Amino acid sequence: MNKFFKKAVKQTEFYVFLIIIVLSLVIQARSGLFFANNNIVDLLRSMIVPSIYAICALLAFVSTGPDVSFPMIAALSSYLALTVTNRLGLGGAPWIITFIIGILFGCLMGALNGVIIVRYKFPSLIVTLGTSSIFSGILLGAFEAERMDLPQNLAAFGKASLLTVKNAKTGLGSTLPMTFLIMIVLYIIAYLVLNKTIMGRGVYAVGGDEVSAERAGFNVKGIRFGIFVVNGGVAAVAGLCYAVMSMRYLPTEYAGGEMIVIAAIILGGTRMTGGIGTLKGCLLGTLLLTMVSNSLILLGISVYWQRVFIGAIIIIGTAISAIQSHAGVKVKTRLKKEAA
Amino acid sequence: MKKMDSNIKRLLIILVAFIIIACVTKPTAFIKIGNFQTMAKQLSEYGLMSIGVGICMISGGIDLSTVYIANLCGILAGITMQDGGNVPLAILVGLVVGIICGSFNGFLVSYLRIPAMLATLGTYQLFMGIAILASKGSTVSGIPEAYTSFATTALLGYIPLSFVVFLLLILAVTFIMSRTKFGTRVYLVGTNERAARFAGIHCNAVLVRTYMLSGLLSAVAGLLSLARINSAKADFGSSYTMQSILIAVLGGVNPNGGFGTIPGIAIAVVILQMMSSYLNMFPGISNYYRDLIWGIALIGVLIINFALDKRRTQRLSKIS
Amino acid sequence: MENENILCVKGIKKSFGGVHALRGVDLTIRRGETHCLAGENGCGKSTIIKVISGFYKPDAGTIEVDGKGYPVMTPAEAIKAGVQVIYQDFSIFPNLTVIENLAFNQVLANKKKLVNKKEFRRIAEEAIKKIKFDVDLDALVETLPVADKQLIAISRALLDNAKLIIMDEPTTALTKREVDRLFEIVTDLKENGVTILFVSHKLEEVFEISDSITILRNGQNVISCPMEEMTEEKFAHYMTGRHFDTQVVKEVNEEKYGDVVLEARNLTAPGFEDVSFELHQGEILGVTGQLGSGRTELSLSLFGLLQPTGGQILVEGKEVHIKNVSVAQKLGIALVPEDRLTEGLFLPQSIIRNITVSRMDKLGNKMGILSSKKVVEESAKWVKDIGVATKNHEFPVQTLSGGNQQKVVLGRWLANHPKVLILNGPTVGVDIGAKYDIHKLLRELAAEGMAIIVVSDDASEVIATCDRALVMQAGRVTGRLSAKELDTATLAQATV
Repeated sequence: MNKFFKKAVKQTEFYVFLIIIVLSLVIQARSGLFFANNNIVDLLRSMIVPSIYAICALLAFVSTGPDVSFPMIAALSSYLALTVTNRLGLGGAPWIITFIIGILFGCLMGALNGVIIVRYKFPSLIVTLGTSSIFSGILLGAFEAERMDLPQNLAAFGKASLLTVKNAKTGLGSTLPMTFLIMIVLYIIAYLVLNKTIMGRGVYAVGGDEVSAERAGFNVKGIRFGIFVVNGGVAAVAGLCYAVMSMRYLPTEYAGGEMIVIAAIILGGTRMTGGIGTLKGCLLGTLLLTMVSNSLILLGISVYWQRVFIGAIIIIGTAISAIQSHAGVKVKTRLKKEAA
Repeated sequence: MKKMDSNIKRLLIILVAFIIIACVTKPTAFIKIGNFQTMAKQLSEYGLMSIGVGICMISGGIDLSTVYIANLCGILAGITMQDGGNVPLAILVGLVVGIICGSFNGFLVSYLRIPAMLATLGTYQLFMGIAILASKGSTVSGIPEAYTSFATTALLGYIPLSFVVFLLLILAVTFIMSRTKFGTRVYLVGTNERAARFAGIHCNAVLVRTYMLSGLLSAVAGLLSLARINSAKADFGSSYTMQSILIAVLGGVNPNGGFGTIPGIAIAVVILQMMSSYLNMFPGISNYYRDLIWGIALIGVLIINFALDKRRTQRLSKIS
Repeated sequence: MENENILCVKGIKKSFGGVHALRGVDLTIRRGETHCLAGENGCGKSTIIKVISGFYKPDAGTIEVDGKGYPVMTPAEAIKAGVQVIYQDFSIFPNLTVIENLAFNQVLANKKKLVNKKEFRRIAEEAIKKIKFDVDLDALVETLPVADKQLIAISRALLDNAKLIIMDEPTTALTKREVDRLFEIVTDLKENGVTILFVSHKLEEVFEISDSITILRNGQNVISCPMEEMTEEKFAHYMTGRHFDTQVVKEVNEEKYGDVVLEARNLTAPGFEDVSFELHQGEILGVTGQLGSGRTELSLSLFGLLQPTGGQILVEGKEVHIKNVSVAQKLGIALVPEDRLTEGLFLPQSIIRNITVSRMDKLGNKMGILSSKKVVEESAKWVKDIGVATKNHEFPVQTLSGGNQQKVVLGRWLANHPKVLILNGPTVGVDIGAKYDIHKLLRELAAEGMAIIVVSDDASEVIATCDRALVMQAGRVTGRLSAKELDTATLAQATV
């Protein structure tokens, strides 16, 4: 075995990739429609919002622990961004202005998570659960947010398309929205920051061993706080993308999106105990789950089965990695003996 | 225990203070039998699920699937009793399904060592999926009156039966957790699973039973809701998942496992139900304010517990 | 101008919330020597290290490194001054590659913002060259053996032109061979002019490696002297402040032994193979060997926590299959585990629960309902019998000292009236006074007819308590020493 292959087979991402290949071939063989241009575009389109969320989930898991507040941050910051845009009459301004407003609000909410988690060292799951509840209360209680139309600038942005395809055989068409570019840009930025900057490596270092990171000279609290602030901003982008893609703002559609995203990144090889996880894994995990939910129809299976399949994939996927890490411990003790 | 748990004391003080505020500000609406009856009915369902989540958290895990176990049990029981089916059999079906679902969770968490959060995240999708399949994606209705009358009957004319069920189960679970070998073992496994194994505890068996109990409690919740709303649906009450975790933590359960009491959770349930009913009495205030208050309460309680614990540990290490 | 003393601290005081951790510590280390800092748990060793490395600000006292005084020492200044600490946990990132582990400190110290792969690799290569350390730089550190992790920490420390390297209990997790390797490196470093402050409480090591020694007790230094002036008796005395025989009175009388209680025949399990022995009533059998010799695995397999793959275990002449701990319990076997904190105790839970956990079957009725009265009585009895110093046994175990914690674990198993008591590292992390108590207790229990196995890598412990000993190496029994043969020299020879 050559070195590259040896390294690849050790990574969870590799297996997810294999499963995706096999699954896509099966769907193609059964329906002949998987590799159709419109299906691919549909898949990419469905992946946009979950894969942006996946960045939030990844950053949180790698550095600290689960963050479940990103859907509510997305909902509340999108609402605020849209409202501010409308109130200030910025409907004619470039769409990016609205996005920046949203990001600012998102960062602010993320900062609240960050302060509580860093200051008291509470489990991030519980804290973000609490702040989720708070954001939801503010959104639906205090603001009494209701569905609303997009301001002019976002509506125009939503109508613009990156790519439109039409399947010659079935006559079905599909368009790839501009938000796809936003997702790509976010992933490129995230990749560069996580792998090419010392701060980004610090995210992994903090997740690997907090005390060591402190001694090495990383600003542990700063990094953790920063992660949650960034998460807030990224969530806001996802929230606005969702609104742009649905062509209107639907406040009640956001809640509950967190679990499937977390499942996706764990399937993609992110370690629950922190320190390990890649953007590649995020994309693959999200792709796998999106494929399962999008492609059942192609296979002629009732959509009612969707949840069952997703549940089964999560259980089997995590069971395999749990059993593997268990077996890993046994191998290690044997190696130790041989070495002695 | 002779002395009252300080956390329970604190919760009771909050409860009493709140009742006083409510009685003073909204005397006519709040102090009505009807109001208490409504509250009692509503809290029974998510109260039971919170207890389930609570014991799983004490054992060092978490159960995210309670709501969907409840829905699945409600749907299967509903289908069984639909259109003149056998009601006792349907109830039995509901309970058995709850036990099976819970045991499956426990199996994944203990024997397969999948982190509880992920395992129950997976089963939550799975149970919901099965519920969708069983109900063909729609609402199960046509529940016989013999069964729904359960929700409208009241003991001694005042106390709703569902609340009686809730109280009895609270008593039973409190007894199990505080006075039996099993209960003590749940606390010990939740504190340090490795040490528990070295001390001769069958951790896997304890965990399976813990999740099974949680499944059973959820099944009862599902059956109660079937009676109350006369129907069952696969995605009913999704927000209860987060709420039940919140209630467990508010009730004093340590998210890292090993600590927490059932009466604490029960009191937290009552407090939260009263708060939301109270807020409902102000037409100007949206129902959703409840989320805001609960969120703030959760984080507030965490911070208060943090400060008090720190003081207590310092004091204890000085004494000994 | 070179100063003769690399480090000179005077009158360091430090207290935490009213508790005095350091009450005026002086420590002078000459350039180029290997200085040992010894003391019992809680004497202030780790606090003084943290003061020297800048993590704690002392309440009073002065720090001088290489002749330069530091009124306020910060971690960054300490590193700049050439002071490096190798912590017990090595301060590594298990989830990252060797390269990153080696390069981070320097890159961060230079306030670099971007990752330059070439530079990272150059730093890493330079680091491992210094101690001729051969390792795959791209490997994840979590996949490496413990000794390699330590070498990563050492080579990283050398990168910053360390003049003084502080090693905090460096041999704790190493096998004998790895310790020898470490000592070679220490000697090498010394020749290159690096000063070493070696923090340890292991007598043999201290005498083997150090040029001079400082002993701390209760946050004060009690003696500083060249190693030649130190003897084993003095060492124990200065460590504890008491005079007592380090030897428990041991009367080995084979005629007093009862029947064979436990027997292993060609027992094999992952970690060891082909181990055979007999254990009689009233006998204490020592099992000794270095880390990785299979001693721990042997104890686990006798207690149902590790399944044998071959051979037999016999209890009172009958073959048994110990498939889990409760089977072991029913057979009358008890194990006091190696790591008290993670395997032995439920730290935040009450003393009562910790003592009665394995007795619950006896303290409740058939329905599984516990009698709280019986539980409290049972725990009170053992707290008293075994002498756990506590005011209230509802307190969490974590409020007790190490010795008292170990007594709680011991009490839990004695409560089961075992026929065979296995202790793995019974006095690790226990101070000398409590160690003596525990050894005495073991002899008493044996005299009453209990069969005991003491698993330990501490030679003095095996000599002090055991009637005979098995020596294990690389998973096999390589020596059997009778009572007469049990002395320091033979043991040392047998374990090499």
